[in-house]
Amino acid sequence: MISANREAKVTVTNLTKSFGDLLVLNDVNFNVGDGEFLCIVGPTGCGKTTFLNLLSKLMPPSKGNICINGEIADPKKHNISFVFQEPSCLPWRTVKENIAYGMEVKKLPQQEIEERLEKTMKLVGLTDCANLYPNQISSSMEQRVAIARAFAAKPDLLLMDEPYGQLDVKLRYYLEDELIRIWQEFKTTVIFVTHNIEEAVYLAERVLILSNKPTTIKAELKVDLPRPRNFLDPEFVEIRKKVTELIRWW
Amino acid sequence: MATTEVNKTPEIVQPKPSTISNLFKNIWFLYALSVVGFLTLWDIAAVTKITGEFLPRPVEVLYQLVDMFLNPLAGKTLLTHLWFSLRRVLIAFVIAVAIGVPIGVFMGINKYFRAFFKPVFDLFKPMPPIAWISLAILWFGINETSKIFIIVIGAVVPCIINSFNGIRLVDESLYDAARMLGANKRQELIEVTFPASFPAIFAGIQISLSMAWTTVLAAELVGAREGMGFIIIMGMNTSKPAMIIGGMVVIALTAWLISVSVSYLERWICPWKVDLNNNQ
Ligand SMILES: Nc1ncnc2c1ncn2[C@@H]1O[C@H](COP(=O)(O)OP(=O)(O)OP(=O)(O)O)[C@@H](O)[C@H]1O
Ligand SMILES: [Mg+2]
Repeated sequence: MISANREAKVTVTNLTKSFGDLLVLNDVNFNVGDGEFLCIVGPTGCGKTTFLNLLSKLMPPSKGNICINGEIADPKKHNISFVFQEPSCLPWRTVKENIAYGMEVKKLPQQEIEERLEKTMKLVGLTDCANLYPNQISSSMEQRVAIARAFAAKPDLLLMDEPYGQLDVKLRYYLEDELIRIWQEFKTTVIFVTHNIEEAVYLAERVLILSNKPTTIKAELKVDLPRPRNFLDPEFVEIRKKVTELIRWW
Repeated sequence: MATTEVNKTPEIVQPKPSTISNLFKNIWFLYALSVVGFLTLWDIAAVTKITGEFLPRPVEVLYQLVDMFLNPLAGKTLLTHLWFSLRRVLIAFVIAVAIGVPIGVFMGINKYFRAFFKPVFDLFKPMPPIAWISLAILWFGINETSKIFIIVIGAVVPCIINSFNGIRLVDESLYDAARMLGANKRQELIEVTFPASFPAIFAGIQISLSMAWTTVLAAELVGAREGMGFIIIMGMNTSKPAMIIGGMVVIALTAWLISVSVSYLERWICPWKVDLNNNQ
């Protein structure tokens, strides 16, 4: 399922989740390669957040397994980061302390923390507001702090749940470029969930398309375009149309 | 261009406000007006004896205060009386916080502890602390212990309620944020539960302090030989309303001073919360 030159970092087998009688995820299987940028698109309410909650082990699956490097995923052992749909900074920590938080939890040496902090904040352009509290910055800024925090922890797997869903288009374009830059710098394995097809095609190396509930993987599509990508490039438009076609359920 | 002009027009048309209406928009002027107005009405009521014999004029209250400040009443000056009340409040307050906050916190964190304590607590919660006075006197006699006991009873309840609710109402997503970064239970507690519930716990402590200040008066109304409650009772027994009102003024001023200093303390301890208040 994935390109031959890459080892599978994450393997998901028979992943199933139901809430009572409501079957949300039905037997999902896929792999993610090491350092891959994978986008998952699906209609609103199809279970994307649930899906990521399972991957991050915040929620137990009804059935199935998630393996990282061949072992069953375990947040204590593996390093999984999550950028939530809603901003999730800790209000009592400044921007800088929030970004350091994941590294502190993992008990990294202070010097390493400082180095990564500086690099990350420069990359995300947060150096100027390092000492502000989350309620003193805008919610888009806050989301960038959450993203910086996630990358700075150098996760084995980074899960992103529509992090730019609430933002206006112009800012989103800017942050998407920024995201790609950080990803290229840190070489993190990313699963990025969105319901925005254009965003998915712009970011992804590969796109998985989810069906409606009960959700399965309906199709998979490689996006082999050079970066930075252009929304008006005929090839780009072609792929976008294909995904749109695949996602239709009527 | 057109929009600018439309925006400009009303400004030009608007008449220059007169100085008088300007004055009435000045907050400080209104503050002063409110205080002076109140004192004037009070003075008129006192002079015309609308409410009978027992309303002193504001100046008389002032004289009485100065008198109590300089000359001992039942062997103690006003400041000494105030200190006796304050000391009772502080001792009882410290005890109440030391008991109430841990109980509330444990009730919030541990469901077995909660199941064990909640029924008894719910039973005692609605009981007014003053209802305990008679029992306290029977148990401990008319002394410091019984007074402090009553104040503790009054002050402990808000500590428990707020600590408990503060911890139960921590935003679940903050826990998720910590968990997904790999935090263990202890890190969750220290990094999320405590800071997130801190403002609520602190608010409980604040309420508890003003409860203590309210209760001390009730405790001192019964058989105290010193304190602000004693001054008020003394004023009643000797038919000196100026003394009663003077005592009330001192009580109010002290309570106000305490609450101001506590909110400064809070600003210092939780800077993130204060910024929120300032911005909104
Ligand atoms: N804890 C839960 N208990 C019961 N049902 C749930 C729970 N969490 C989610 N669901 C249901 O599962 C389905 C998928 O929810 P989910 O939030 O994963 O969708 P989503 O694709 O992330 O939606 P959105 O696009 O709005 O973010 C919904 O029908 C929802 O009602
Ligand atoms: Mg969602």
